[in-house]
Amino acid sequence: MRHKISATLILVALLLAAGAVWAHHSPSAVFDMSKPFTLTGTLTKVDWYNPHITVYLDAKKDDGSIENWKFESNPPSWFRRVALARDDFAKAIGQTVTVEGVRAKAGGAYGYLLKITFPDGNSLELVVKGPLNSQ
Amino acid sequence: MKHRLVFAFTAALFLAGLAAADTKDPATATKAPRTADGHPDLSGIWAFAIDLPPVTLKKEINGKVSLTDIDSSAARPAQGPVPGALPSTPAPSYKPEFRQKVKDLFDNESKTDEVFYCGKPGVPRIGPPRRIIQLPGEIVFLYEDISGDPYRIIPTDGRAHRKDANPSYYGDSVAHWEGHTLVVDVTNFLENGWFGEGGYFHTDAMHVTERLWRDGKNLAWQASVDDPKVLAAPWIMPPRVISPSTDPLEESPPCVEDDAHRLLNSDHHQQR
Repeated sequence: MRHKISATLILVALLLAAGAVWAHHSPSAVFDMSKPFTLTGTLTKVDWYNPHITVYLDAKKDDGSIENWKFESNPPSWFRRVALARDDFAKAIGQTVTVEGVRAKAGGAYGYLLKITFPDGNSLELVVKGPLNSQ
Repeated sequence: MKHRLVFAFTAALFLAGLAAADTKDPATATKAPRTADGHPDLSGIWAFAIDLPPVTLKKEINGKVSLTDIDSSAARPAQGPVPGALPSTPAPSYKPEFRQKVKDLFDNESKTDEVFYCGKPGVPRIGPPRRIIQLPGEIVFLYEDISGDPYRIIPTDGRAHRKDANPSYYGDSVAHWEGHTLVVDVTNFLENGWFGEGGYFHTDAMHVTERLWRDGKNLAWQASVDDPKVLAAPWIMPPRVISPSTDPLEESPPCVEDDAHRLLNSDHHQQR
């Protein structure tokens, strides 16, 4: 677990450093890069829109109520160039997935998706070129 | 017989001269393919040339990990000299009275840049085309862009600019060949678009010239921008080299900007 957290923190730091060359906006303009978090819930919807794809998650809060989370991620053109399509996410609609991401600075149930793990254990993760590749 | 010998000798000298000239020409030196009318063939699908996040995909499927990188080289200025390119500068030079405006626009990019809100980038900000279809008398440029997937049908038959066209983001284009280079002349732009990231606004007086040529198997693209109302001098942009691609064009998904109301500062960069 400790390794997992430190890897995520490094990823976030690298994303922050890479902010100047992101397509739409720097993640740090919207998200608090210092607070990565993990959320498990039911995948309810996937929007394959520009300038960011969006995945929706229904997660159970401590009091048992359901919170509707929305995570944006890289642009569709990026996913296309790494050979991923909407269906690679949408096939898990209705199933339980785990998302690692960062929260919106403005608050609310909104985040940036950095990793998604599907019920079968398969996962998709955004990794900045360089140091993380060797980890 | 003597005349035939003299003719043959003269012809040989002429051909040798042409050959010598051609070896100085980068396009011919690399044996670029040609169309039936003898011009270099620019047709084809070319690499996606819009900046993408510099992120690798790590995919773990059934315990097997794979990493997939993206190539954004076509979206950036070429690294190193490009044969046939004009001397360029990294940024335009505005008249002194407009420099503060450029800075203000750039500093508040997320509020002032139409492209942030799914707007059309126009020429030359959209960069090189994704696909070129070269026909006798005209050439077609196809693009993929979040604002829609624009196209340009550009006459190459010597006709003049249209006089009845409305101003637009992509302007009115006509093209001609200068040696092995296709020169596209673009005018009739809407006012107050941006010709580049960085608050590079323009007026309706903007005049863009795009140059396209073959650099071996690659496509080279370079644009210059003149806007005498606001620029101190024409700006020749750094050239780009775009590799051929097998990635077919695909309709761009709809663009729905949903971050502007969450931005706590104006920090966002590099749409193109």
